[in-house]
Amino acid sequence: MATIVAEATGQAILHEEHEQSFLRKYIFSTDHKVIAIQFLIYTLFFLMIGGLLAMLMRYQIAWPARGQLPLGGIFPESMVASGYILPEFYNALVTMHGSVMVFLAIMPMLVGVWANYLIPLQLGTHDMAFPRLNMLSFWLMVPAGILTLASFFVIGGAAGAGWTLYAPLSARPDLSGVGLGQIMWLAALVFIGLSSILGSVNYITTTINLRAPGMTWMRMPLTIWSLFITAILALLAMPVLSAAGIMLVFDQTIGTSFFLPEGGGQPLLWQHLFWFFGHPEVYILILPAMGFTSEILSAGSRKPVFGYKAMVLALVSIAFLGFIVWGHHMFQSGMNPMLGLTFTVSTLFIAVPSAIKTFNWMGTMWRGNLQLHTAMLFAIGFVAMFAIGGLSGVFMASTPVDIYIHDTYFIVAHIHYVLFGGSLFALFGAIYFWYPKMFGRMMDETMGKIHFWLTFVFFNLVFFPMHGVGMVGMMRRIYDSTGYAHLQGIEDSNALITWAAFGLFASGFLFAFNFFWSLKKGRKAEANPWNATTLEWQTPSPPKHGNWEEVPVVYHGPHEYSHPDVEDKDWLAQNERPDVVSPAAGSH
Amino acid sequence: MRSHFWNRSAALLAVTAMAACGGGDGGSSEAADEAGEAAPAAAQVDPSTVGTISGMANFGGMVPEMAAIDMSAEEECAAGYGPDGPTAQNVLVSDGGGLANVFVYLSEGVSAAPAVSGAATLDQVNCRYTPHVLGVQSGQDIEISNSDNLLHNINATPTENRGFNISQPRAGITSTQRFQVAEVMVPVRCDVHGWMQAYIGVVDHPYFAVTDANGSYSIANVPAGDYTLTAWHEEFGTMTESVTVTAGGTAEASFEYSAEMTGADVPMGDALVLEHGTNRIRVERIQ
Repeated sequence: MATIVAEATGQAILHEEHEQSFLRKYIFSTDHKVIAIQFLIYTLFFLMIGGLLAMLMRYQIAWPARGQLPLGGIFPESMVASGYILPEFYNALVTMHGSVMVFLAIMPMLVGVWANYLIPLQLGTHDMAFPRLNMLSFWLMVPAGILTLASFFVIGGAAGAGWTLYAPLSARPDLSGVGLGQIMWLAALVFIGLSSILGSVNYITTTINLRAPGMTWMRMPLTIWSLFITAILALLAMPVLSAAGIMLVFDQTIGTSFFLPEGGGQPLLWQHLFWFFGHPEVYILILPAMGFTSEILSAGSRKPVFGYKAMVLALVSIAFLGFIVWGHHMFQSGMNPMLGLTFTVSTLFIAVPSAIKTFNWMGTMWRGNLQLHTAMLFAIGFVAMFAIGGLSGVFMASTPVDIYIHDTYFIVAHIHYVLFGGSLFALFGAIYFWYPKMFGRMMDETMGKIHFWLTFVFFNLVFFPMHGVGMVGMMRRIYDSTGYAHLQGIEDSNALITWAAFGLFASGFLFAFNFFWSLKKGRKAEANPWNATTLEWQTPSPPKHGNWEEVPVVYHGPHEYSHPDVEDKDWLAQNERPDVVSPAAGSH
Repeated sequence: MRSHFWNRSAALLAVTAMAACGGGDGGSSEAADEAGEAAPAAAQVDPSTVGTISGMANFGGMVPEMAAIDMSAEEECAAGYGPDGPTAQNVLVSDGGGLANVFVYLSEGVSAAPAVSGAATLDQVNCRYTPHVLGVQSGQDIEISNSDNLLHNINATPTENRGFNISQPRAGITSTQRFQVAEVMVPVRCDVHGWMQAYIGVVDHPYFAVTDANGSYSIANVPAGDYTLTAWHEEFGTMTESVTVTAGGTAEASFEYSAEMTGADVPMGDALVLEHGTNRIRVERIQ
């Protein structure tokens, strides 16, 4: 007969319940769980802002000649005039949609929320290694958000040189028409970079030093592996962006010419610096999602993750390869063909660990006892969408193909299959999956499933046709495609995409309603509603300050589902004593 | 009401943001504020003490041939011209020898000026600016509109004022801009259509005019007194005349141009700074 025994280790209880002021408990909190929830609210807000910017963009793309923007009257004349979105505002929309989604929504949601929430809980420790640094990493995001929003309302508007900030357009206000707005966004980027670096130091230190007894490297959940490797990537990549951003500010303000050819600078230097950060950033944006998916698929299939060690090695090799492929973003920028070939080959190599992961996810689900709850649906959706996004990425890895589709909507389709179909699907899955642990209540399953299917259908209606529109040659940042002879006939596709985008945005509100409604009305969650194995499920929902009465001891790997030696249930918690469960179970 | 709300919101957010990043925008607004303080005091002018300045800008000699503009890329615009097609507008001379598009303004002697009233307009018609040369008072609204159903951008590159670079993608769109500091002249161009060029003369009083197609101009309601009148032309530079305005009278001042003056130094972006107390305006090129 198996029973759960939360084993005492004899360690002193480090955290005692003590009275805290409201300010210290909820605002300037050093509790990793509160900071994670702060990040969650923050990032959901910016997810909505980023979505709103996208809706305005899509309206313009579908109906450039119509004018009469609904509610256009609420915008100042510098953004919308006579019902028309002005080209400079459109540039700001394109730029800030990408920037907000990458830096203020997806990245902090993947890392800021879940690394904060899950690392101490899944590793079996009381908090992060540096709780005050952790608090600082959140509060650095606040001025970044304020600067970002405020930049829309300064003269010249928000940054308009694209999220990639290519110089000299981004360095010379006389070219872009944007002065202060660009500087404000770069200042925001520096805050974000600092936040990310501080966070990464914390995640790495915590993972290395504060694992519970028995939590060996190869017993760490794949979520932790992915977050740990992501933190290393961020620690190495973000300083490059921050330094490049400061150099760009200098070019704009104090007359340096790092990226300006007239002063002896090199616009290509910006591209190298940006993409040296930018490609690892792509993996920062997808590796945690892979971790969540592995975890949810395993619990939802009631099977261990297929090929755990291969999954870890795949994560490590994707991270390593991620640093030597940045040149594939610059095939069109002028490059020695031999160098281009090198980047092509190294990029194609990434398909190998990516494929290992994809096949292992399918192997995990294969003949599993599938529990098709909302989190599981999103995780399965992630695998499917990531496969499409990954395959379209192979097109771009090849120089001759990339030259044809470079800077077209094909690229837009690809990045969204990875970043929305991949990262955001996994994030929705993660929220549905860990919400009960976070808030002690379940999200409504019916609403969740409707949200999934609406998201899945509308997402594909938005982004799949973009492949075709891109193949026809529609440029990715074009304000009005109707004036080009080669783009005649794609109006209906663009209108379809826009209607579907409205549906996709609207379905987000169902999620938001479910999220806030469930805080009060959701069914109360027990400690382990998914019968999952990792440590966070072996403490109450939500966990108290300090997480554990006593630090747990780990005896098993992270995903011990359907263990043959456990008879009366299909899961084995990491901290279940082997002699209580079964002698044989201890060997896993 | 709505624009008032946005202006205040923008100002609040901008202040917050600038405080947060500890920066400014290079100081152009400060320059504008300082120069604004030096503008002539708003004054009510007694109608019984004012007169008029009028005259001609005449052109003598061989009229330079204006270059043809190839507008074939914009059929909608090209259709607005006759069989000879559009030509440049640098030197427009009437049959009677009058030179159009000369900006004439009082450069010395103005001690006080009435407050700004009304708006100036700058339109884009058949891929040309109308008018080609525009005079405005500092702080006056400039309503820029697009009569062409295609995209123009309006890129103003002053040296003393805050520049702007805005777009108008369709017909019927208007945008209002202002220059706060006197500056002669502010070049305006459209980057989409390289031939589109206009000039805006900004002075801190309403005593200016632009010669019409016949080369004549008239500046009304000028307080009686002694003045220096300056005429600016985009090809022939500047020349000055002294005028004395009497109450109820009309002072005549004409300017004589010739082809030989082509290539003269054409002032651009000069700030006009009124010196209070000395009762004169100084034209000062900011280095």
